[in-house]
Amino acid sequence: MVRYFLKAMGAHFKAGRMLFVLTVFGVALGVASVLSIQIINQNALAAFEGSMQAVSGDADLSVLGRMPTLPESLYVDVIGDVGVAAAWPLYRVSVALADRERFYLEVIGFDFFAPVRVPWDGGRPGDFSDVLARPGWAAFTPTLANEMGWAVGDSVKIYSGSRAVWLQIGALVDFQKLSPLASPKVVVMDIAQAQHLLGRSGHVHQIDIRVKDGVDVNGVRDRLQEKLGVSVQVVTPEQRSRQTEGLISAFRLNLTALSLISLFVGLFLVYSSTQASLVRRRAEFGMLRSIGTTRRQVFGLIVGEVVVVGSLGVVLGLVLGYWGAKANVDVVSSTLTNLYLLEEISTLQLSPWLFGVAGLIGVGGAVLGALLPAVDMSRRDTRSLLSAFTLHEKIGSFAPHLCGIGLGVFVVVGVWFLLGGWQWQHAGFVLAVGLLTGLPLLTPMAIHVLTRGIQIRSFGLAYSLKSVGARLQTTAFAVAALAIAVSMLVGITLMIGSFRETLNVWIRTTVVADVYVTPSSWRGQGDEAFLENDLIQAMRNFDGVRAMDQLRGFLVYSNDHRLALAGVDIGVPGGASRFTLLDGDFETAFEQVHKDGWVLIGETLARKQNLWVGDSVPIYVMDGVHEFQIAGVYYDYNAQGGAVVLDLKTVEKYWGPGSINSVALYLEPGVDTEVMVDALKAEFETSAMDIRSNKRLRDEAMMIFDQTFAVTRLLQGISLLIAVCGIALMLLVLAREQVSELALYRAIGATRRQVFGLFVGKGLGMGLLGLVMGVVGGIALAMVLIFVINRAYFGWTIQVYWPWGALVEQMVTILGVSVLASLYPALKASKTPATELGRDDV
Amino acid sequence: MMFEGKRQKVKGKRKDRRKALFIVFCIWFFMGWTQGEAEEWQIAVPDYEWSFPQDHWAREGYKTEWWYFTGHLKSENGREFGYQFTFFRVGLLPTKPDLDSDWAANNLIMGHAAISDLETGQHYFSESIHRVTPLLGGFGVYPDTLLAWSRGPVGTQDRWLLRWNGDAFDFSAVDAGKDMRIDLRTRPKKSLIFQGPKGYSKKGVGESAASQYYSFTRLETEGSVTVAGETFDVVGESWMDKEFGSNQLDENQVGWDWFSLQLDDGREVMLYVLRDKTNAVDYARGTIVLVDGQTQYLKRDEFEIQETGSWTSPETDAIYPAGWIIKVGDEILTVQSEMKNQENQAELVGTLFYWEGAVRVLRAGKKVGRGYVELTGYGAGSVPGL
Repeated sequence: MVRYFLKAMGAHFKAGRMLFVLTVFGVALGVASVLSIQIINQNALAAFEGSMQAVSGDADLSVLGRMPTLPESLYVDVIGDVGVAAAWPLYRVSVALADRERFYLEVIGFDFFAPVRVPWDGGRPGDFSDVLARPGWAAFTPTLANEMGWAVGDSVKIYSGSRAVWLQIGALVDFQKLSPLASPKVVVMDIAQAQHLLGRSGHVHQIDIRVKDGVDVNGVRDRLQEKLGVSVQVVTPEQRSRQTEGLISAFRLNLTALSLISLFVGLFLVYSSTQASLVRRRAEFGMLRSIGTTRRQVFGLIVGEVVVVGSLGVVLGLVLGYWGAKANVDVVSSTLTNLYLLEEISTLQLSPWLFGVAGLIGVGGAVLGALLPAVDMSRRDTRSLLSAFTLHEKIGSFAPHLCGIGLGVFVVVGVWFLLGGWQWQHAGFVLAVGLLTGLPLLTPMAIHVLTRGIQIRSFGLAYSLKSVGARLQTTAFAVAALAIAVSMLVGITLMIGSFRETLNVWIRTTVVADVYVTPSSWRGQGDEAFLENDLIQAMRNFDGVRAMDQLRGFLVYSNDHRLALAGVDIGVPGGASRFTLLDGDFETAFEQVHKDGWVLIGETLARKQNLWVGDSVPIYVMDGVHEFQIAGVYYDYNAQGGAVVLDLKTVEKYWGPGSINSVALYLEPGVDTEVMVDALKAEFETSAMDIRSNKRLRDEAMMIFDQTFAVTRLLQGISLLIAVCGIALMLLVLAREQVSELALYRAIGATRRQVFGLFVGKGLGMGLLGLVMGVVGGIALAMVLIFVINRAYFGWTIQVYWPWGALVEQMVTILGVSVLASLYPALKASKTPATELGRDDV
Repeated sequence: MMFEGKRQKVKGKRKDRRKALFIVFCIWFFMGWTQGEAEEWQIAVPDYEWSFPQDHWAREGYKTEWWYFTGHLKSENGREFGYQFTFFRVGLLPTKPDLDSDWAANNLIMGHAAISDLETGQHYFSESIHRVTPLLGGFGVYPDTLLAWSRGPVGTQDRWLLRWNGDAFDFSAVDAGKDMRIDLRTRPKKSLIFQGPKGYSKKGVGESAASQYYSFTRLETEGSVTVAGETFDVVGESWMDKEFGSNQLDENQVGWDWFSLQLDDGREVMLYVLRDKTNAVDYARGTIVLVDGQTQYLKRDEFEIQETGSWTSPETDAIYPAGWIIKVGDEILTVQSEMKNQENQAELVGTLFYWEGAVRVLRAGKKVGRGYVELTGYGAGSVPGL
């Protein structure tokens, strides 16, 4: 039997290469879509952990500020603890490489004389006088040096805030040898130089601790936490990972959900492929059964073939998945760095469990898809297998029942949601799954209803459509797969389109100043890069500048949640429209923020924490926790879990004096913004500042938005591709199924062209039906995404806008691709000779 | 490799760490010998203009400097201890870099403290090393009484301190993790003397191979020591050396034997022998301090030291001499270690290990004095203590 199996496999491959390739490709795409997202998802966190490992080595604990920095004097308290074996302070600064767009280096200032082992030990130099005294001495990675063509002794110009600084390449050290996931963009220098050149004295960003052997780490952590006070947190590496995991959990979950939808569509394809394979081999099974092969053996043959096809699909899927991840890692990486100020993903690593997942998805999916047909096929009697056939004969009569089940799913999920399910954070996904489960169940009935009324006058498109309805047993699967894919496509397009437009309107309302100035190394909200005071003064007094708004922003903690805090000149004339309030009285709120030290909170925070006007939000300040009264809630599209806005004076009162991170300039009436931008750039040519007009700032914001959703678009594409493969496969099945019918057409005079046209028409018809179903499902999915999922995970209010252009473009593409997918099956069908007409068929 | 550690018994992660630290330590210990920076650092000169008490304070501009205290103590109930307390200043740069950061530094401060409990035979050692910053340690400036201070070893809240009390020195060292503490006050019984003519102490034939060196050879001492959590009020006698210079060792020198002996007849003897890579004597000098404080400087051929026994460290496998016969003129003294194991093993700096121990002096089998002996450069991979 095994020999037969192997020989038969080879023969089938030769006989139906296209079908075989499509099937394998279908499985591969399903596997790849899930895998690529999982690889990226996993590596997003691994990048953080790798960076943590690279910086902190085998530290057992880290002391981190609840503000960006902590007083370095705390180091003394740390090393004085009896459970501490070693401790070392780190000064960490993100700097931008001059002459390169958004190219950041992570500079770590370290006490080169601390007697501890750290991952960058090799960076310790032979000549300490250089480290201490040669301005800008720093150790770089060979990877970066090679990439940039640098060598030891070269100088590298970087921007730290608005300062331009030259770093000297003092040594090349392969930190990645010690921590393979470490970013090649890590630069290590002496802490004194780092503070002097890139930051400020008296503060560090973290203190890493190694606990004595045999001492309870948690005991030391608790003791230090008590000793050091609430302005810092003492955390284990696991806690830091968990914090980051929590920070980007919504982002990762969304990606995972999208990949699972791709998988869902992919499984349809696997299922369809199995059908196609079985149709082809039906007569063969009849023969085998008639010569004495048992049902079990037939079942084994079918499952065996599916396992082989699934395995091949898995292998190809692994390659495609890795390639997909690699091709998209940059955009995801940009999102992580732009929105969450996290480490870039610089290398991709494949965990062994991902191979397991791929195998389970590919082979498991294929076997699952083939199980019922295999059982069905093995149970049939020989005569039924050898006679003219159809698959799923019962689907036609089952259509109303399936429809009923589908509607039942909608009702159950809908009622559950309305009766309290909405309170659960993940409820949106239940709705989405319900929608995507119910939709295919409605498909046979929908096709039946939609094609029932078609009048056939000739052997043309109407006939094709009618035959789609007539061949429900086969076409329903392809249409359902397409409908799911289109739902996803339309749903996400509608959601992204709405979000984009909402953001666009919001940006136009809130970006009201004329010119925005940020330090060149500023990566985004919460970054520490600052503008130097003399520059701020010079800009304030610049000819044509009417008013200036200043922003001092950093990350703070409210309980265990990280918030982006923004201190602004709340009273700046004309600046009130920067905030559009969702809750709270406009005038009172600004008065309270200005005079009473109250805060405005972003919608994200409000929804997540259920905090509204009248409530207060506890935030860690310099010497404890302060409850800030909430004056208003403003529309906000922050990804970091929340934002609060205070008046600058309030920030100074609770967090002490600090530097300004960016300024916004309001110009005198009649002053041209672009001319002013040019004038400012000329005046401050030597300073490392990005000076943008409001228009450019808006454009850049939209660019970052588009980049953030780039992966989503890729998934849309994969789903569509899977669905189209499904159509091609189903048409191939139809061509095979209908051999007798086609031969009859040919016998009664139909030309090859007419048969060709019939099949192309079928493809178009299936495309149309899938589209109709998909659009309905897609709109519903978009509503779930916009009103349930995004609100629950991000707390964003998104207005619904219809991106007609994109939607129409997609519809046309789907129809076009459906036609293209039907060309090959049509060609095959048109070649059916009249001699295929069997005696039984006449 | 010459400096490769041989501490096979240390395990796993600790071993890695030591290996890394050892590299650092070697680098800065040998920096002066390998990088030829002498032109930037001041070097010891024969006509150095001494100025006391200012010269008890740190002399910036020289690469290395130390305040070295050793002595014998006795508690009220007769329990005897030997001790060592040392602060090293390790110069990284002749002047402090002009940086807006408290971490801007041109020195490290390293402390070593050891107690030999002659009753139990236990030897306790503690160390600290920090970059000189306002937070971690530093050196005082005359006339402030503080000469030097540093944070204790990691895990210890208290500082290590060295002060000028107007006549001599008060100092304290504590290690919370090892339950040991030294807290002593001293008063000179004899005046300060120079080691070498005008305090110019040659260490080799090279021009710069020398240090500025003076001693208090007999300091009356009182205070307390704590070992294994038990504190003893003690009195006794100490010996203090202050030495500073740059590049004082020759490249071929790998270690030294150093003796400070306090004889019961009121005289003191200091001898040092610098050994080369073949373990032969490369350079040697000595000083005899008479009862009235007069000094007699000894050249190499004016004394002879013969080893009479050895002790192998179970931890480092280093084989140290454990007894000596010293001939100076007609006088023959036998020196025996009070305890075999008085090896200091520095954990912060990988393979730095040396023997620093209390000894007794015998003449014709009769005890005639006591002292301290320092043995460095023994064992494969040992780095000489300063």
